[in-house]
Amino acid sequence: MANEVRERNWEPKIVAFVCNWCTYVGADAAGTSRMQYAPNVRIIRFPCTGRIDPLFIIRAFQHGVDGVIVSGCHPGDCHYVSGNLLARRRWIVFRKLMDFLGLDLRRLHFAWVSATEGAKWAHLVNEIVEEVRQAGPAPTWAMPTNGATQIEASLPEIGPPPSPPPELTSQIREIAKQLLGTGEVGVVVGYEKATGAREGAATPTFVNKPEDADRLIFNEHCIHNLAVYLTNPLVKKFGKVGIVAKGCDIRSIVGLIQENQIKREDVSIIGVVCNGVVVNGRLADKCVACPVKVPHIYDHLVGDPSSVQTTASEHPLDAQIAYLESLSPEERWNFWMPQFARCIRCYACRAVCPLCYCQPCIAEKHRPQWIPTSPHPQGNLAWNIIRAWHLAGRCVGCGECTRVCPVGIRLDLLNRKLAIEVERAFNYRPGFDPSAPTPLSTHRPDDKEDFIR
Amino acid sequence: MLRKRLTRENLNKWIDGLVASGLRVIAPVRERDGGRGARDGKGGLTLFRPITSSAEIAADYTKTDLPFKEWLFPPTEVILHYRIVDGEPVLEDPEVDATKTVALFLRPCDAAAIPILDSVFGGDYEDEFYMTRRRNLTVVGLSCTEPQPECFCAAVGLSPTSEAGSDILLTPVGDEFLVEVLTEKGEQLVNQYADLFADAGDLTKEQVTEQAIAKMLRKESLPTFAETYSELFEHPVWEEIARKCLGCGVCAYSCPTCHCYDIVDEATLFEGVRCRNWDCCGFALFTLHASGHNPRPTQAHRYRQRVLHKFAYFLQTYGRNMCVGCGRCVIKCPVGMDIYEVVQKVAQASERVGV
Repeated sequence: MANEVRERNWEPKIVAFVCNWCTYVGADAAGTSRMQYAPNVRIIRFPCTGRIDPLFIIRAFQHGVDGVIVSGCHPGDCHYVSGNLLARRRWIVFRKLMDFLGLDLRRLHFAWVSATEGAKWAHLVNEIVEEVRQAGPAPTWAMPTNGATQIEASLPEIGPPPSPPPELTSQIREIAKQLLGTGEVGVVVGYEKATGAREGAATPTFVNKPEDADRLIFNEHCIHNLAVYLTNPLVKKFGKVGIVAKGCDIRSIVGLIQENQIKREDVSIIGVVCNGVVVNGRLADKCVACPVKVPHIYDHLVGDPSSVQTTASEHPLDAQIAYLESLSPEERWNFWMPQFARCIRCYACRAVCPLCYCQPCIAEKHRPQWIPTSPHPQGNLAWNIIRAWHLAGRCVGCGECTRVCPVGIRLDLLNRKLAIEVERAFNYRPGFDPSAPTPLSTHRPDDKEDFIR
Repeated sequence: MLRKRLTRENLNKWIDGLVASGLRVIAPVRERDGGRGARDGKGGLTLFRPITSSAEIAADYTKTDLPFKEWLFPPTEVILHYRIVDGEPVLEDPEVDATKTVALFLRPCDAAAIPILDSVFGGDYEDEFYMTRRRNLTVVGLSCTEPQPECFCAAVGLSPTSEAGSDILLTPVGDEFLVEVLTEKGEQLVNQYADLFADAGDLTKEQVTEQAIAKMLRKESLPTFAETYSELFEHPVWEEIARKCLGCGVCAYSCPTCHCYDIVDEATLFEGVRCRNWDCCGFALFTLHASGHNPRPTQAHRYRQRVLHKFAYFLQTYGRNMCVGCGRCVIKCPVGMDIYEVVQKVAQASERVGV
């Protein structure tokens, strides 16, 4: 009954984030010219669209708005030269993320409205209010009650890769001894055999004396991305670090160099030729179409580049992503929400990620509190969106977050989806060129999109 | 103590009878959604969830991915509502969950964790939220016949068939279950369905216990540090151990006994709630002061807290260590930190310094 009344009286509630110089003045012009438009929009003014963080959009939806408009100066008109061009890149990717999560895109709009375009603003608001009205009240950020969406496209079940030849281990030990013996590095981060309950597995280890280098190993169980330790204060205090790294891990190291977290000369990379690692008894998904079986950047190369097996051309997650995209937004929402709802906010995804180095993380900032710290569905959704978003164009797809998630959230699909979108829009793959700017920290005047009005 | 026997068929009848009587029955259930199985590769998590029929229980379960703890001490819980009405704050108590509940098939490690939590939440100060749920909870334990490689309950004073924390303990013996009714609460659940249970006769669990312990890889009693920790406090071994630790909360959040929490307010302009959320000593924020000073500045300090809380401070305060040997932290740790090995390593280090 109460619901019926609410639905009968329901009016779309829309928040507009607009820039001070163009759209705000444009909206003002609509007012002073006595143009009538739907009263459903609340305007929030920012200095520039470049300042409109996707966090604001998430926050607005979290607090129950039915639609969001983001608007600013036309390309070329930015009062801070390029704020709107940077914003445009973000919108291109963020919109795809929200679509993939199951937000009905009739609720999320982007527009260029200049100071003189009062009429465009009035027209735009009327159109958007109608679209949001058709979309209906926004879903609450609570656990859906109508059942979880299963995923039907399955992942390939490929058996474990061949064990790498034992020479790899002895070569790594020799290099480590030499690096430590000559004092070139203070510590070598590598793998050792796990013992006890984890017999057969490998585990990260730190060797700071040449005589301990014989602990080091390399085999198909060396799954961890050790690049995460390059920003660890307890490791950094040894000085220059030698690191045993597979191609995928080296891509993370490239990211850290690109983002000025480490200097190339502060790390000595022992690159390992790798035919893949094993997760749950089968070839890890990331290895199926690995582009870096032979390391692309290294100081010492271990293994025989001619020993690598040919790689599949299609990433194994792409079939699952295509399947999810074939569903309705509501079905996608019901795929993600049950998973996010059981997130316990252990932040293991963040802890294992070499590129999640922020101190403090946005999830820990509390003035204002952008992301609720409570592990309830709203807080968890906000956290998982922002984690994926902050890794867009930066995540190298090492898959560690998914491997360690104790509640099985498919973070790999989110990350892969954003990697696809970034590559499609900006022709960029992270982790290859240490001197390239990251795609969302730069822009091109001719970036293509087809949704900004 | 009553001792009964129960056939598998009657066990299901009993469970369905409990459900039909209106009790909330919580049991290990395999989650069915698009998520990936945590680590077991079986394509679904096993978690404690309310059931509507005995058929929903995960048949082949060894250990749930998260412990039962979440039903007594939820990851997040509203402990206070407030509103501003006419400029004045109005406080409202949230409703406390007093649903009569039966928890089914807790492994003895998980069951043993409940008295540990009780001593914290029901000690000098009784936590109303926890204790209300606790009073309404009856625990039916299920002895463990397949200890996993990470398990070490026998090393912390328990066993795969120990009774601690259970109101009723079921032990599979041959095709039947030995039913040990250990408390009054347990008796009530059995007495209502007396015709399903037969006398235990000469059924015993000794052999099951022996066989299960024989399968356990780690059972050498773990040392504790209640007497020695002050000398060990500044030992370099902590840094050596903790260098690998990434500072996430998987160990604490998958631990059946960890009970630290954070209090946060979530509010809009005119109303809000105060929440109690799980927290973890491994996080840098756990002890960060508003001034910016952090008394546990590195992961070595934080990991030391984790180990000493479990194997020294808790022992000092409550007379037992705060680990039940379920091994979840061992298998779920992203980098393979193993508390069983860590404790042994610390003990060796303490021998070297002669404490």
